[in-house]
Amino acid sequence: MSRQRAVWAIVRKDVRAIGANLQVLLPMLVVPVMLGVLLPGGLVWAILRFGGSSGELQELLQLLERVPAGSLSGALSRLDDPSAQAAFLVANYLLAPFFLLIPLMAASTISADSFAGEKERGTLESLLFSPVSVGDLFLAKVLASFLPATALAWGTFLLTALTINGVAWPWMGRVFFPTPNWLPLMLLVIPLLALATIFLNVFVSARVATFQAAYQLGGVVVLPVLVLVAGNVTGLLFFSTAVISAIGAGLVMVDLVMLLLLRRYLDRAQLFESQVG
Amino acid sequence: MITASGVSKRFGAKQAIRDLSLSVGRGEVVGLLGPNGSGKTTMVRLFNGLLRPDAGGVRVDGRDPLVDGDAVRAASGVLTESAEFYGHLSALDNLRFFADLYGVSDPTRPRSLLEEVGLGDDLHRRVATFSTGMRKRLGFAKALLHDPRVLFLDEPTNGLDPDGTRAVLATIRRLNRTRGTTILICSHLLQQLETVCHRYLFIDAGRLIEQGTLAELKARYREAVLLEVDTDLEPAAAEAHGRAFEVAQVDGRRKLTFRLDDRAEVPGFLRRLVASADVYGAHVVEQGLEELYFAIREEKVA
Repeated sequence: MSRQRAVWAIVRKDVRAIGANLQVLLPMLVVPVMLGVLLPGGLVWAILRFGGSSGELQELLQLLERVPAGSLSGALSRLDDPSAQAAFLVANYLLAPFFLLIPLMAASTISADSFAGEKERGTLESLLFSPVSVGDLFLAKVLASFLPATALAWGTFLLTALTINGVAWPWMGRVFFPTPNWLPLMLLVIPLLALATIFLNVFVSARVATFQAAYQLGGVVVLPVLVLVAGNVTGLLFFSTAVISAIGAGLVMVDLVMLLLLRRYLDRAQLFESQVG
Repeated sequence: MITASGVSKRFGAKQAIRDLSLSVGRGEVVGLLGPNGSGKTTMVRLFNGLLRPDAGGVRVDGRDPLVDGDAVRAASGVLTESAEFYGHLSALDNLRFFADLYGVSDPTRPRSLLEEVGLGDDLHRRVATFSTGMRKRLGFAKALLHDPRVLFLDEPTNGLDPDGTRAVLATIRRLNRTRGTTILICSHLLQQLETVCHRYLFIDAGRLIEQGTLAELKARYREAVLLEVDTDLEPAAAEAHGRAFEVAQVDGRRKLTFRLDDRAEVPGFLRRLVASADVYGAHVVEQGLEELYFAIREEKVA
């Protein structure tokens, strides 16, 4: 009970700190609105509104030729209108990797503030003087980044679904987003990616002195996701359920390896000497 | 209650603590004295398991902080200059947070402690706006939050105004008297320590160079008797009395402080002085902790 109380006190304190730091709060508000509302809503609306006459649509529809056989091609073949096909493809497949950027950005920003910020503000020593084990401290810090990052991704997903279906309703007349391939993405890949980002930020935070440095250095995690975005947009790597599951399995391995490597930070004296003393 | 046996600790090229042994008995209030960088804060960190000694070991209430650290930290209240608070939280929220970490069951404890240390009007003010003295009061309240059996106080009155200093010293005395709290105080403000400490430990460059009660130390480091005289005697004429002296003007009056070899010399010296000049008052200057501190360092530190 006492351990749980301490862990949740640290989680609450760190979550509260998100609102107190504009550098942390701003990307948490802007990125989801951009990637979760404006980008998908704008794209889907533009495709359905001007799609029939635009050259870009023809280019987009060329992607359809590369769509692997399966549920996606089946769903697309049921749509007669090329604009509706394009809107369906953009909403359900091309946007998927962009969504990975949301937990990635959120986990990276919050964990940089939570780990490096604690060191920068001189409060890590106060925590280490308390009767909370370093394992519990680590757990609390991970939860404090993981829960808001995942919740933000899921909340944004809900907003995206409302936006896309709302914008497309006059043309589609039915709910067409999300398709089942989003399920493993949201329930498996997003949480695992958030966790991997947090673990990476623990390593980064241990090597830098300030939140700002940790934030900037931790930003490199977007690079592999940008590769996925490019692969998906060019049709080289469609975010099918199989691909998403494979990414999830890869992330499980990455998370486990990082967790093993992080064990060395669980010694209080070593942690203090390397981070404070 | 608190022991260190042959402790050594090195940070890179610097040997912070060298083969240091000390003990503080249950219910004692002990002053740990030494210049900046002598190893006082390092010892507080070692006693709380934040540092691992390179050699030797420490115990608090019979427990090794490296083995049973959470139990040691649950029994210890710590105030150090380097351990900060959360600036974006109010004083009350900071203490509530630490109350959760320390498992404090009384929900009114944070508020009542803040009122006790004089922060009753600033409960809801963000700590980022606090002065040094207010942070020190908050730190003192945090150290007392879980009603610890042992207190480690590193410079507890540094930065406090006279009222704050008096309140902190009074609380230290009260806790020791009524609850039997064992207290180790590191401080440079030697005159303040005289009023609360039972015993003193002097360290220099990580080594224990002397220890004892004020009476023991006075007996060991008895210096020449200093006789302060309020007199019209001219300094040039004072030289004729054959004793070293210093001149000071206090409230527009001349004070001569003569250095005599022995207390027994005082009556005869005064008789000769009165015969040569008007004397309005005289007293023997008592040797305090500050004088002892310098006497010990002069003798023990090369």
